[in-house]
Amino acid sequence: MSKASVFYDKFERHSHGEGLKGHATHYCPGCGHGLAHKYLAEAIDELGIQDRTVAVSPVGCSVFLYYYFDVGNTQAAHGRAPVVALGHKFANPESIVVSYQGDGDLASIGLAETVATAQLGAPITVIFINNAIYGMTGGQMAPTTLMGQTSSTSPAGRNEYNGQPLKMAELIAGLDGPIYVERVALYDAKQRIKAKKAIHKAMKLQVEGRGYSFIEVLAECPTHLKMNPEDTEKWVKECMEPVYPLGVKKDLTVDPWFKRNTPCFKGEKILSLAGATSEHPERFCKGFPTHLAPNDISLKLAGSGGDGAQTAAMLIARAAISEGFDATHIPSYGPESRGGTSYADVHVAEDEVLNPGSPDPQVLIAFNAPSLAKFGPTVRKGGFVIYDSSVVTEAPALDPSIKMFPVPFTGIATDLGKAVVKNIVALGALQAATNIFPKDTLLGAIRTALKDKCALIPLNEEAFAWGIKSVEALDK
Amino acid sequence: MALKERPKPYLLPEYCKGCGRCLDACAKDCIHLSDQINPLTGLVPVELDLTNCNACGLCMDACPEPYGLRPAHEGEIQDFELEDPAKLFGVKPSDAPEPVDMPSEVLPLPRTEPLVIKGTYASALGALLAGCRHVYGYPITPSTEGAELMAKFLPKLDGTFIQAVSEVATVNMMYGTAGAGLPTMTFTSSPGFSLMLEGVSYMIGAELPGVFVNVMRGGPGLGNIAPEQADIKLACHGLGHGNTRALVLAPATPQEMLDLTMLAFELSFKYRNPVILLGDGYLGQMTGKVQLPDTMIKPGIPKWAVYGDAMHRKNVITSIFLTESDLEAHNVHLNAKYEAMQVEARAESFLCEDAEVVLIACNTPARTAKGAVQELRHQGVKAGLFRPITLWPFPVEELKAAIHGAQRLVVVEASAGQLEDEIRLALSKAGVHQFPEIESVRRMGGVLPQQSEIMTRVLGRKEVLA
Repeated sequence: MSKASVFYDKFERHSHGEGLKGHATHYCPGCGHGLAHKYLAEAIDELGIQDRTVAVSPVGCSVFLYYYFDVGNTQAAHGRAPVVALGHKFANPESIVVSYQGDGDLASIGLAETVATAQLGAPITVIFINNAIYGMTGGQMAPTTLMGQTSSTSPAGRNEYNGQPLKMAELIAGLDGPIYVERVALYDAKQRIKAKKAIHKAMKLQVEGRGYSFIEVLAECPTHLKMNPEDTEKWVKECMEPVYPLGVKKDLTVDPWFKRNTPCFKGEKILSLAGATSEHPERFCKGFPTHLAPNDISLKLAGSGGDGAQTAAMLIARAAISEGFDATHIPSYGPESRGGTSYADVHVAEDEVLNPGSPDPQVLIAFNAPSLAKFGPTVRKGGFVIYDSSVVTEAPALDPSIKMFPVPFTGIATDLGKAVVKNIVALGALQAATNIFPKDTLLGAIRTALKDKCALIPLNEEAFAWGIKSVEALDK
Repeated sequence: MALKERPKPYLLPEYCKGCGRCLDACAKDCIHLSDQINPLTGLVPVELDLTNCNACGLCMDACPEPYGLRPAHEGEIQDFELEDPAKLFGVKPSDAPEPVDMPSEVLPLPRTEPLVIKGTYASALGALLAGCRHVYGYPITPSTEGAELMAKFLPKLDGTFIQAVSEVATVNMMYGTAGAGLPTMTFTSSPGFSLMLEGVSYMIGAELPGVFVNVMRGGPGLGNIAPEQADIKLACHGLGHGNTRALVLAPATPQEMLDLTMLAFELSFKYRNPVILLGDGYLGQMTGKVQLPDTMIKPGIPKWAVYGDAMHRKNVITSIFLTESDLEAHNVHLNAKYEAMQVEARAESFLCEDAEVVLIACNTPARTAKGAVQELRHQGVKAGLFRPITLWPFPVEELKAAIHGAQRLVVVEASAGQLEDEIRLALSKAGVHQFPEIESVRRMGGVLPQQSEIMTRVLGRKEVLA
């Protein structure tokens, strides 16, 4: 059978199907695209996958692939066809997706997408038409242009300053992702049969869910090579083939693996992932802690990475929200992943936090001397400063209206056997120093946060209690 | 082995371009180039003399034209009329069915206690509840937590998260999934958003939905990872090449990060167009109270999709219109759509009814400004806040109402006047040329305007930033 039924009966998209264009391609006489189209169409036909096929047309002469193929069609941006193909494949794993690309598209502008998609290895089929020249833009140098070959952008012939021709089949075969890579040609009947078989096999491997295949087709572009069709075939055979040797570059036997379940749309599942619960948290507050501020309390927690400032800040925000207030927490970090500065701005408001930053906090919890030195002077008059007296030997002199609470966060935590609970010691100290919430509010937030690590709850409760005790001891 | 009877070739000379590939494919020397130019094509076709033909089929395999050398079936060879393609090829160009919309479903969601989560997480949950199961992304601070949450949750929902090789690949994976008709989104931040704009233009051209959450950071160039609002012009006026527009939403709280993400998906499918959610670095990182909605979405498949099944086979997703008149008609259609989007303008006015001083701000600076309004009111100044929730289309009718009695307008923003430009453009297009002089509180480079600076500007009229 020669005209595969996957070609439209009339090419309506080709100049609205007017005149001869309704049944003729836009390709020049002797162009290789038509044959590659034909073998692809036949493979789709033979495998019975016309309804499932999505053909991705690239930018280049084959941008109009969708004029001809009676399958689902998507036209992609220059070089992006393989990732567009992935987007289709993952949207519908049953679809059979073909990324059909030329050399400028695949081997130049889209090289990153080409290599990354090949390496990902998801079962799609890439058909790569290598004709060693840019066709659609009119005969410029391609990444696959041969050394010495003239083009409009290498008028004296490609030389070492233009770089070497890119051997894509070998490059792709060198990756671990692909399972089948072959380079074929179209210049005689024997090569055409091989090309047809290779394209069929590449499609079949996808249908079977085995993996990614890549077929490089050495194709003729008589127009831009400025030869007649017959001489172009000869040129491909005699000049291109020695640089781009034909044959199978990779052929792995892989069991079918690409199998994806239908996505889940169960609300309960999303709620459980999000940790959302319909259980009302117990409330302990009688009202907003107006002894600290009429309707908005501003706190800052400052230390270095690993001090637990962010976790403590988060627990304060959660505690506030569990009491029906509004709260916000903004973290800020230095550029270091570990050991850099780590600050947290927290607001607790009766109705709505209007201004979430804490440039002049009422409460500062400082985990080290630099943090205390930096933010101590920003604390509002009449405010509270709670700091780790295990590491801060000398506190700076602040406004006398500010209440200072030196508490050995680190010392207590170390004595309890786990230095990481020093932030919980700090929360205990916060509670005792400011009475921001009843004890049980913060304890409730701590217990909820540890609900999947219940074994740690007693230690944290103890750390919290020691924080309170330390502040109470200061008052005596 | 029984020999199957094989058809011999036939050829309509009009469909032969004379490339000659079939000449040496034939071992029996049945094919020759004509000595006549075909008057219909201006090309020289081949001629067949099938006397010696053994129907090997190699000539047909060598012919690149779908309607070139074809197998001759009984009765088919001679009697055709070129003038009547229906008679020759059937009336329909394809037997693909006419697709219909498979509508999305609204499912009830049990009422839960508010969550305490950061803005990017809220947006990610919003996307999941809007039915998005395909997320692509490239890590970039300060938006990455959104992608991280998706990478954790989506496999448990049999969804797809792929970390792409770049933002360019990201937006094109979205293009593929959106082309298949499914909801898709990404999290990015300013430099990454710049890189996606090529794809955004293609998505607009091909009329594809998709949600871009851009957690804006300091620029230009690599800038820094602190909050800025300097992508407003990009989102409102610079979405790649061509006559492009997209709805631009500007949340101000973690709650709105969720609500507006869900809205973004709805609008993006309603208009078959990308929607941009512009947050700022603070908003992405900020933890706050987030109430989940009462309903969630199970998406359907729209009739225009290329899903890769029989129902959608006839569809094509493309942004190329080679003929000028076709492309102009497409642009007219797109612009009519942009015009229709004007009804989506949204804004919040806070204490503007009697306001003499109207602050105008969006994102986190709007919260700061709201704090300032409250403080100014305490001090006896009749202040109000106008907060655009959509930056494109700009809610100019709401703005006109809000500044009706204002004597002063103060734009509070973390950019060099990009929000102010939107305001001026919107007022100008609406024919409003008489309005109070616009004053500004601007910070840049990752610094947000502070409440104290707004107070100084309003009360002291001092230059806050030269």
